[in-house]
Amino acid sequence: MAAVQETVDHVKEMEADKYKYGFETDIETVKAPKGLNEDIVRFISEKKDEPKWMLDWRLDAFERWLTMKEPTWSRVHYPKIDFQDLYYYAAPKSTEGPKSLDEVDPELLETYKKLGIPLKEQEILAGVRKMDEPSELDEAAGGEYGSGRVAIDAVFDSVSVVTTFKKELAKAGVIFCPMSEAVREHPELVKKYLGSVVPVSDNFYATLNSAVFSDGSFVYIPEGVRCPMELSTYFRINEKQTGQFERTLIIADKGSYVSYLEGCTAPMRDENQLHAAVVELIALDDAEIKYSTVQNWYPGDRNGVGGVYNFVTKRGDCRGKNSKISWTQVETGSAITWKYPSCILRGDNSVGEFYSIAISNGYQQVDSGTKMIHLGKNTTSRIISKGIAAGHSDNTYRGLVSAHRKASGARNFTACDSLLIGNQCGAHTIPYIEAKNSSATFEHEATTSKISEDQLFYCQARGMNEEEAVALIVNGFVREVIQKLPMEFMAETQRLIGISLEGSVG
Amino acid sequence: MSVEVLKTKAEQGLADQYTAARSGLPGAGNGWAEGLREAAWETYSSAGLPHRRIEEWKYTDLRALLRDAYPPAPALAEALTGEDVLAALGPVLAGLDCHRLVIVNGQFRLELSDAGGLEGKGEVFSLGDALGDPSHWLKQTLAQVNPPLNDTVVALNTALMTGGVAMRIADKAELGKPVHIVHMLTSGEAMSVTTRNVVVVGAGAKVTLLESYVSHGSAPAQRNAVTELVAGDGSQVHHIKFQNENPETAHLTSWMTRLGADVSYDAFQFSLGAAIARNQIFVAFAGEGSRSHISGAVLARGRQHNDTTMVVDHGVPGCESREFNKLVLDGSARGIVQCKAIVRKDAQKTDGHQMARALMLSDGAEFDSKPELEIFADDVVCGHGSTSGQVDAEQMFYLRARGIPEPQAKALLVAAFIGEVIEKVENESMREAFLKLTESWLAGEGEGG
Repeated sequence: MAAVQETVDHVKEMEADKYKYGFETDIETVKAPKGLNEDIVRFISEKKDEPKWMLDWRLDAFERWLTMKEPTWSRVHYPKIDFQDLYYYAAPKSTEGPKSLDEVDPELLETYKKLGIPLKEQEILAGVRKMDEPSELDEAAGGEYGSGRVAIDAVFDSVSVVTTFKKELAKAGVIFCPMSEAVREHPELVKKYLGSVVPVSDNFYATLNSAVFSDGSFVYIPEGVRCPMELSTYFRINEKQTGQFERTLIIADKGSYVSYLEGCTAPMRDENQLHAAVVELIALDDAEIKYSTVQNWYPGDRNGVGGVYNFVTKRGDCRGKNSKISWTQVETGSAITWKYPSCILRGDNSVGEFYSIAISNGYQQVDSGTKMIHLGKNTTSRIISKGIAAGHSDNTYRGLVSAHRKASGARNFTACDSLLIGNQCGAHTIPYIEAKNSSATFEHEATTSKISEDQLFYCQARGMNEEEAVALIVNGFVREVIQKLPMEFMAETQRLIGISLEGSVG
Repeated sequence: MSVEVLKTKAEQGLADQYTAARSGLPGAGNGWAEGLREAAWETYSSAGLPHRRIEEWKYTDLRALLRDAYPPAPALAEALTGEDVLAALGPVLAGLDCHRLVIVNGQFRLELSDAGGLEGKGEVFSLGDALGDPSHWLKQTLAQVNPPLNDTVVALNTALMTGGVAMRIADKAELGKPVHIVHMLTSGEAMSVTTRNVVVVGAGAKVTLLESYVSHGSAPAQRNAVTELVAGDGSQVHHIKFQNENPETAHLTSWMTRLGADVSYDAFQFSLGAAIARNQIFVAFAGEGSRSHISGAVLARGRQHNDTTMVVDHGVPGCESREFNKLVLDGSARGIVQCKAIVRKDAQKTDGHQMARALMLSDGAEFDSKPELEIFADDVVCGHGSTSGQVDAEQMFYLRARGIPEPQAKALLVAAFIGEVIEKVENESMREAFLKLTESWLAGEGEGG
């Protein structure tokens, strides 16, 4: 028996090592009862102190959700989700604020440390001081704003913990706050734009999100403003058996610019966790939004047990003339990924971009891609997708490029390349190309191959082990996309690729 | 709650037809043939006509496109002469030196055919006749050559087929002339025709098979044709299709092909006619070291709808596949290319590439492309490409600058575009015929648009 136990423990250790972000923070939380019904929707709304119109919006969504069916068209397989066996709301328990970092729950601090959040922001996150209070650390940092130039909104389980750099952003007129706060403080903006890109009844998971969304980030960049820093959200599912349903809404008014980063991790769990987010982007005339994601939710263990189900609806609307929306995503985590960040190119001369790296290992299943819907004249789009399948995983690119009858001069270029590592995995490409306008010029190319033996040999002959060599070659394969990431993410992503592919060879 | 799916008018018509005709269809009384039809009807009727919710038929919704089911063609059509057949083929193809096998309105007509010279190299007979007393090889082949899963159009064909050509080419036989199966429609009234060909090519044999689909007369028609082809080890097969049916026809054809080892299979489809055309090609590799090169040319204008759907299934290692399609779309024509390559787990060293290109000549034209790769083996080289656009402005300028008027310059560029794929036809007289047909299509440009 003892020997068996020892083996189990040993394996557990190894597994924990594999998933670098597999730590769990033990913090007291307030949870709503398990299951989903109208009362839960009311409970969430009440907890967030929402006005009646918001509650009505949620209830309407919930009613519609009851009539909808789970989609089954994607190339992913999983046991049926029992939507009544989930917690739809979990929030860290709020207490009187601590006086200094020394009094803060060390476990929480440890979490921040692992996330690499600067000390000054940790203070705010932990509630030591409020956003608008000066910090002693400011002076120590010497500069006007300290060293980090990234404003972070951290979402723990379902609740936005705190948003940093609010004051400075406010100076520029930028609104960057938790969604729940925006509902209270900026109802006119939320009313106008929420659900205008992803309608309430868009799809099964988007409707579910509309009914029970807990929090998320709200960003508004006023006319002519170039957001002074990168905005960032950090999502983390901490509590067991919870679903995370965040809702992000970014509005770039005329002539503005914003770059937004999103990172996600979840601790290791045996059971599957559900993540169904909705992200809506709106770019008005001459505005540009750059949205980057590094997704590293827990992918399940080496036998495919556990992991996050990542069913996300992301869509950007280039509503104004000459607007631009650019999606960059690095998908390395989750047991199942089902997401298609899309661009509706409504405004004339608008531009949509999609750069993606999707890495699947173990028993991961990825069905991801994009939609570029050309409606306006002279709209252009570009899709670069790199899929890497290893282990027993399945990696699918699914995309749509369509030109409406009136979209004269539409232009698209698509390149999707897949790399296969090992003979147990699958790589699939399912593009739909629909040209309803003769002046639309669409080009699409896709390739699938394995890592070149020559390249592998070359690297190994120079003293690298096979795993290092594979990581190097894969990094070269995805270089085109990595270069599109903001500086802050580039280095980290390269390391992440190495970690994700561990155990894929040999 | 189960919802009973309402039958469309066409579906109801087909159901009535089957009930009325089943006891009179060829093979009635033969248990094997009846069982085959019965099972196929079950498959068909469980789902009905394919519609846009069926992924493979997303762009060709037969429930919407087929308003009505036309009555089956009468058992024996009016007297026809060889001249009529040649007239339907048109001057360009009539002169082709070949073994001509003629199917009129779903019946194989020996008296109009010319199978002389095939003796000793193989056997040809009427499938309709053979269903009553099937030979062993036919039983082993019919409806078993790479049948697509859940394709109700193929199932409908099996249930309702009235005849066609059954042909077996002996091992190592080399046919000096192409075998030309002429599928002809002739009638003053609307009708439907369901035919089936079964072709077995022996090991090491060399065959060129041309299937042409033409109309004699302008009455509306619905055609559902299936050709099953088995290529034996080491055989070389050229398989060509020419379709120029009248603009009232709904044309559905499915080729189901299985390739043995070391087979060289070259297919080409040339589509000009019909109001609605769906060209399905299913190729399965069953032996190592084979190659399959499929290409297609589509010229469509007016309100023509042309859908080419292919599935190439690599089930064994070391095979090569190429799919190359070109479309010229004018008026409000709609062109569709769906091409799926499956590489199964053991099919290492697969080399597969596909390309679809569309040239759109008018604003109303539409092109939908879905190149699909499904890959489960790692040591493969696969790729696909798809492009669509207008005539290149620079090339146009170049020609105009040299004094060539716009219509001619455009015709020249279109001919060059489509010519690239027609050049893939190995048989010289066929190639020349297709190029000539392209020329006259271009000369008539604007008629239908």
